[in-house]
Amino acid sequence: MRERHESDPPLTAAGEPITEVEAHRRLRSDDPSLQYYAAWWLGKMRSRHPDTVPLLLEALRLRQPREDGAGVESNAVARNAARALGKVGDDRVVSELLAALADEDDGLREAAARALGELRAEAAVQPLCDRLASGLEGAGACRPNSPKLQEPCEALIEALGDIGVAEAAVMTTIEPFIAHERPLIRSAAARALLQLTGEPAWGSLLLSLLEHPQLQVRRAALMDLGAVGWRVALEPICRTHAENSLKLIALRGLVERGSGEPSTETLLEAMDGLL
Amino acid sequence: MACSERFRQLISSVEQADSATGLFQATRDLAYALASLKGEPAPGTPPDAALCCLVRVLGFNNPGAAVAAVEGLIASGSAAVSPLLQGLDEQNYGARAWAVRALAGIGDVRGLELLEQALADDIGPSVRRAAAIGLGTLQLADLAPQERAAVEQRVLVALERGREDAEWVVRYAVATAMEKLATRFEQLEDGRGRVTSSLVNLADASLEEVPVVRLRARLALSRLSPHDSLYPP
Repeated sequence: MRERHESDPPLTAAGEPITEVEAHRRLRSDDPSLQYYAAWWLGKMRSRHPDTVPLLLEALRLRQPREDGAGVESNAVARNAARALGKVGDDRVVSELLAALADEDDGLREAAARALGELRAEAAVQPLCDRLASGLEGAGACRPNSPKLQEPCEALIEALGDIGVAEAAVMTTIEPFIAHERPLIRSAAARALLQLTGEPAWGSLLLSLLEHPQLQVRRAALMDLGAVGWRVALEPICRTHAENSLKLIALRGLVERGSGEPSTETLLEAMDGLL
Repeated sequence: MACSERFRQLISSVEQADSATGLFQATRDLAYALASLKGEPAPGTPPDAALCCLVRVLGFNNPGAAVAAVEGLIASGSAAVSPLLQGLDEQNYGARAWAVRALAGIGDVRGLELLEQALADDIGPSVRRAAAIGLGTLQLADLAPQERAAVEQRVLVALERGREDAEWVVRYAVATAMEKLATRFEQLEDGRGRVTSSLVNLADASLEEVPVVRLRARLALSRLSPHDSLYPP
């Protein structure tokens, strides 16, 4: 969920109303900034036009090795194309997204992982696990002079949770990240393990992150509880210090993805109170 | 009303706050003092200077302080409406958004025009969502019949347009607001029928793609027509 800011279009183009035909025309152009917006727009609007997926796949292939001063634009288009394919794609796009998951551009790997998670692509489980297998010392290690980790761990772990193949090997791959020094990675790991096992202990870990002193961590825990739909979290979600907008998104997740107690009506009433 | 010494001190703490935390705490104290006026043995009128001070805080780009100020303004009710409308800085988007939230919470019909505008074209979904709820909970009871008829019509038209909002949370707020409005029509004969038909649209999977919005609309329908087997509670 944290990719949102990055995937928003540039401010100058935000909210600019275009048609599906116009989005396709822009994607066919060779102006990266037009392509960038068009790719984002087609995903956001969940375009179902038969030309959309083939055009996005072409945009995904436009990537180039990332060198200083060159290729950056093309990769930005490819990343947005990957994100959009997660929303409008189907089984036919999985192999191309798997190729993007092996790209040297980690931003593209991150976008591809999230898209594969959204598509519930079981074929991605092994490649995702392979990327994480080196654990805290490898994939999860900090890069020198960069806020990034060696791998986009958060996206890789969340994708495994979303795909939902609850095999022991998957759980064993994710579990070490529960001890990661960064709370956002711990949150992602707890979320995925809760999705895969339904084990309340992982949910409790997310609840404890709702009390973290950093707002960014509380926001992440909110999104993660919403993604799982763990209804037990209703009260702590309402109580945590964060924007009502995010609490509403989390509670929507509890309504749509969860079941059991508290009832749907109770959840809706809690949402009413946050409007 | 004249400003008591206590309020003068609280206002001056807000004005002299020199850090974000200090501003938040001073605003919270002032808001709390205003809110507790109502509970006193001889309920006092909130002093204008204190309300104007809270309205100024809305423009300071300090979300914590703004939340506290909005709470204080809402607790002060109708007395806060004219300081809000007069102190409105059209150029300051953040301040305007907070003012919409305050007016939505107060429910005074003088805020109608601002709430209509906000629901129709504010860029922030959280502001449109607050405006929708504010429209649904406007206080209509004290209005003269003719004015009430006009207000009921305008509120309903605004919410019917809000049903087309691109953001799910705004459509959700419209469904909630429609439920709150539905039983309060006195002048508009077809009001309840129009609310029902809006809610039926919001509950329809072929028209509304977001499940939680459909569920909220269904809940509203089941509460409004408990005997209608189409929408069991």
